[in-house]
Amino acid sequence: MSGDAIKKVCVIGAGTMGAGIAAQVANAGVPVLLLDIVRDENDRNAVAAGAVAKMLKTEPAPFMSKAAAKLVEVGNIDDDLAKVAECDWVVEAIIERLDIKQDLYAKLEKVRKEGTAVSSNTSTIPLAQLTDGRSDAFKRDFLITHFFNPPRYMRLIELVAGPHSDAGTVEKVREFVDRKLGKTPVDAEDSPGFIANRIGTFWIQAAVNAAVDMGVSVEDADAIGGKPMGVPKTGIFGLIDLIGLDLMPYLQQSLTGTLPKDDPYQKIARSEPLIEKLISEGYTGRKGKGGFYRINREGGGKVKEAINLQTGDYAPAAKPVSIRGPAAKGDLGALIDIKGTIGEYAWAILGPTLSYSASIVPEATATIVGVDDAMKLGYNWKSGPFEMIDRIGAAKLREWLAADGLPVPEILEKVGDGSFYRIEGGRKQYFGLDGEYHDIERAQGVLLLEDIKLGSEPLLKNASAALWDVGDGVVALEFTGKMNALDNEVMKLIGQAIELVTEKYKALVVYNEGSHFSAGANLGLALFAVNIAAWSEIEKLVKGGQDAYKALKYAPFPVVSAPSGMALGGGCEILLNSDAVQAHAESYIGLVECGVGIIPGWGGCGELMLRWMENPKMPKGPMPAVAKAFEIISTATVSKSAADARQHGFLRPTDGVTMNRDRLLADAKARALELAEGYTPPEPPEFRLPGPSGLAALRLAVEGFQARGLATDYDGVVSSHLARVLTGGDTDPTETITEEQLLELERTEFMKLTREPRTQARIEHMLETGKPLRN
Amino acid sequence: MQVYEAPIRDMRFVLDELWVDDGFGDIPALEEFDSDLTSAILEEAAKFSREVLLPLNRSGDEEGCVLENGVVRTPEGFKDAYKQFTESGWASLAADPEWGGQGLPERVNKLVEEMTCSTNLSFGLYPGLTHGGAIALEAHGSEDLKNLYLPKMTSGEWSGTMCLTESHCGTDLGMLRTKAEPQEDGSYKVSGSKIFISAGDHDLSDNIIHLVLARLPDAPAGVKGISLFLVPKYLPNDDGTPGPSNGVSCSALEHKMGLKASATCQMQFEESTGWLVGEPHQGLAAMFTMMNAERLSVGIQGVGIGEAAYQSAVWYAKDRLQGRSLSGAKYPDKPADPIIVHPDVRRMLMTMRCYNEGCRMLGGWVARALDAEKHSQDPEVKARATDFVALMTPIVKALFTDLGHESANLAVQVYGGHGYIRESGVEQYARDARIAMIYEGTNGIQALDLVGRKMGQNTGRLLRSFFHPVSDFIEASKGDGPMKPMIDGLEKALGALQLSTATIAQKGLKDPEEAGAAATEYLRLFGLVAMGYCFARATMISDMKLAFGTEEKEFYDAKIKTATFFFERILPQVSANFLAIKAGKKSMMALSEEQF
Repeated sequence: MSGDAIKKVCVIGAGTMGAGIAAQVANAGVPVLLLDIVRDENDRNAVAAGAVAKMLKTEPAPFMSKAAAKLVEVGNIDDDLAKVAECDWVVEAIIERLDIKQDLYAKLEKVRKEGTAVSSNTSTIPLAQLTDGRSDAFKRDFLITHFFNPPRYMRLIELVAGPHSDAGTVEKVREFVDRKLGKTPVDAEDSPGFIANRIGTFWIQAAVNAAVDMGVSVEDADAIGGKPMGVPKTGIFGLIDLIGLDLMPYLQQSLTGTLPKDDPYQKIARSEPLIEKLISEGYTGRKGKGGFYRINREGGGKVKEAINLQTGDYAPAAKPVSIRGPAAKGDLGALIDIKGTIGEYAWAILGPTLSYSASIVPEATATIVGVDDAMKLGYNWKSGPFEMIDRIGAAKLREWLAADGLPVPEILEKVGDGSFYRIEGGRKQYFGLDGEYHDIERAQGVLLLEDIKLGSEPLLKNASAALWDVGDGVVALEFTGKMNALDNEVMKLIGQAIELVTEKYKALVVYNEGSHFSAGANLGLALFAVNIAAWSEIEKLVKGGQDAYKALKYAPFPVVSAPSGMALGGGCEILLNSDAVQAHAESYIGLVECGVGIIPGWGGCGELMLRWMENPKMPKGPMPAVAKAFEIISTATVSKSAADARQHGFLRPTDGVTMNRDRLLADAKARALELAEGYTPPEPPEFRLPGPSGLAALRLAVEGFQARGLATDYDGVVSSHLARVLTGGDTDPTETITEEQLLELERTEFMKLTREPRTQARIEHMLETGKPLRN
Repeated sequence: MQVYEAPIRDMRFVLDELWVDDGFGDIPALEEFDSDLTSAILEEAAKFSREVLLPLNRSGDEEGCVLENGVVRTPEGFKDAYKQFTESGWASLAADPEWGGQGLPERVNKLVEEMTCSTNLSFGLYPGLTHGGAIALEAHGSEDLKNLYLPKMTSGEWSGTMCLTESHCGTDLGMLRTKAEPQEDGSYKVSGSKIFISAGDHDLSDNIIHLVLARLPDAPAGVKGISLFLVPKYLPNDDGTPGPSNGVSCSALEHKMGLKASATCQMQFEESTGWLVGEPHQGLAAMFTMMNAERLSVGIQGVGIGEAAYQSAVWYAKDRLQGRSLSGAKYPDKPADPIIVHPDVRRMLMTMRCYNEGCRMLGGWVARALDAEKHSQDPEVKARATDFVALMTPIVKALFTDLGHESANLAVQVYGGHGYIRESGVEQYARDARIAMIYEGTNGIQALDLVGRKMGQNTGRLLRSFFHPVSDFIEASKGDGPMKPMIDGLEKALGALQLSTATIAQKGLKDPEEAGAAATEYLRLFGLVAMGYCFARATMISDMKLAFGTEEKEFYDAKIKTATFFFERILPQVSANFLAIKAGKKSMMALSEEQF
């Protein structure tokens, strides 16, 4: 199965969630019908059409490309419900009211064709109630698919099947959301809040209660409850601001209304007068006038302020407590052990939350893996609750819980002195309710380096990269340095990899499982080398990278790069030098060197031009491809998705896109093996470039930008060096220059820029603030 | 015999010739200090040092300071010398004109300081500390405090101290115990004991203004809980004259190895009234304003002593007749040749000469950066000058004082047995010079400051202010001319420094002990390369002067020969430093504590 059984989808309800789900379906290249009610008699599709229009302006963008937006067909429930007959899956994402949902299902039952899956995105209503009164056939095809906001970016989907749900239908939807939508389905039981929101709501409540009761400031609360716990650094109050304060009472009511009376959440749920007051005054969080934090722009300034939980007054956000040592590096036991507020507050969050999390297996989901996956993928926690317990130690946690009179759930008793996860025979195993350990099963076809690493040693490794045998004659090159930065160690390993693969393997895949493929060369190292005037070392680094990438390009075996997340600078250039790219849909690719006052130095200039020269749609002559590459590089353009990267020429039309992050390696490997059949390396290109007259034209264009205030003085300097490379230096259109010559030109101009004080200032600023300096 | 003639020609070389294109551009504010004016100042300072300070150096060492009836008495003649010093305006030379100073650029002031240190280091400490205290007060004090104290401290009527050290804490100031209790009138009652307080009490000035580090009642533990207070010996009257005693007393004088005419006191503060300088708990930062200035001045002490030791050794090497030259008698008419004919004596004299000239040149560069930092109109230049001063401060302090002490030791060696005898005067240099390697942050701490703080700051931005000009100079000077061996040598030495820098930065990031283990050798390596750069520049200028014709042929010729000695006989030490750095900490940390 490949998810192909679903060829068209209907999403009903064009609110934030419904529209976002529709966009993601479109992102997968699948046509989608988006319906909502008729609100305006003269413009009957206005609600759905408005939602699409709004999404085209939203950041972060729900659509991966403009082409995707065109796959969304808008309509209204009154006129267009019959079109559901054309669809293989209907997702209901309308208002959370049982009667309205039931009413819709009744209508749907009449128009849908047999076998079309129907799912609800409800987060609060039990499945049994939803299908009450429907036919058996409808019940067979019905399930809950609970997406997380925003649907494009959050990887979790909670799948809830009812007792009547047909296994085939559930599988069909599961395959589709996995392979096409790129999500990770986690099976949940039909219990209130399912998994993530149940724990998440409890966790937020516990943290807010404790901060108020203990007199902990919101700044301190977020500093303690955020990063040290592996929770996004917004912490808890920052998170509430993000999702909206007004959602809090709503979530609370829905859970207190549906959970049993003896559920621990009932005891801690309470309404906070301050939060109610804030909501009533329009302080609903980031979407409103602010929340626990706000930006005060009085007097033209921009001051981040935080609220005082006791008085309700805002004051400039104070520098929070600082947490150092092991506690700052993920040692939760050490965090709790810190005397005073830090340790006490950390425990006030973790103790109840971990206890509660352990108590909902199997009621909410069958295994601990489901709980951990849900929190990691749905709330972006670095570790799930059971992984956290392993780090504290189950025995120690039990002791602490007992001392505080908090419940010690059954599974926490059962695990004894052991851990919830272990590595056995090269496989990761989890602890089951049956008291046994079981292998963690990946979905079919998923190949992860993480798993390969458990059962094998690297073929080669050094400080910045490693090589892994990923089976079937394919080797993976992994970047392992900090932030996957590229340096001479990586280049060295590429050299060794080429020898090894040539001798013993069929193909090479460049792949890693960091949150970003690579943000490019190690800038800090480069700046340090600049600062100590180690010019020859820097030139060696540039030449070393050019040589390594060219060696990859002309190696006697295929090289497939498989990026996910950012692939910038040198991380982009390795893609450009690969035979093929298999990109994760969420790939942000670009040559961003100009932002730090330099130009691509590892062959990126020539390669990007080649992409445009090969493009059949480009006009003839030496200038168009040059101008296109110049525009993309000089503005440091970064693609907003893999689809967008294709528009910029970073990806070829033949390069593949994988929606599910976990399937990227398998797809890249398959592509590499496909290419390995009868592989011949490419012929080195020759460039016919415009020379000085082209340079003059490009400079004129830059001056235009400068005159309009769109480019700074130094942008002009940097882009002049870039233009000199792209136009081929002193060549003219009657001559051709070799790839080698172009690389030498690239190197020379690169080196000139590294000596410029304003380039040095740009690099320093980027390293220190993470933002470009517009000098 | 203690012999000293201020090396004015060499100083003028540093001031007027060597750094004309120092990269910091023109500074209009300093234009009035032209060559004529600065020459006159240097001549006068030379005269004062020779005639007033030098004669008191030996006697002051013999007599020392005395604590009698709770009052410290300086050696005979000091009081009068101090009076002349302040009345002639030497005390206010470098101070801000706003408070009655003469605003002399640091590039000149540091040369005057050198003369003072050459002729009477003990004496120099009294006005030196006053100047440092005034800088801290100017930077962090309230307007009221400044108006009341700065004019008198500037003129030298009142002197100053810095009270940091306590018996249980020196380097680690976080442990200090002296406390300050807030009073209703906004003042504080300061109580506690301090040790090693230079110029803590004496009879030279009408009042003594102590800058005291102490803890407020609500102070957090450690260095973040230290505040700075101004505590006068006598509380000033409304008319500005010294009034009643303020509970500040000297309980004992330290018995020291050298620097005997400087009163180093144990001080008691008993509910002494003081005023906060700067913000609460920010005392260390405020004190560091003064520390950095002081550290550069301490470096100059090294050059000062080195120069005096060198001159005294040259005098003796020419005067002492003993044995014959290895290549045959040079003075057959005399009973023996002067010992200056011997290669090993030459080795010592040349080494001292190189140290002094090299440090003076390097100090001159840093002093110009100090001026640019203070007066330049160009923010980019100002920032670069600030970087450079921050980078070079630990190097100037540690390198200059290490070499100054080495020079003093070499002078004792040149004198042979007589050098070990008090009357010769040179052993005093060795004793006096020794403290400069210790106070204001030991040289070990300076090296840690360099590798731990300065090296990595802003991804090595501070380094740029040194490496770029040196690298540019090498690139611009390459060629087959007479300078070739020197430029090649400098390039190699710079290469060793670059590689060491990269190695330490990389290793130190993972293991701070690696940086610590390399620190001292690295600082020396850095310093030697910096001196090499100075000598190469000096040679280039001298070559040019000789080529275009000059009446000072001897001077420039000697400069080139000295530089050549430096490149051939001293700079190669960088190879040893480099190898030691490369070896890392392993053998240094290998013994267990029990094995010691």
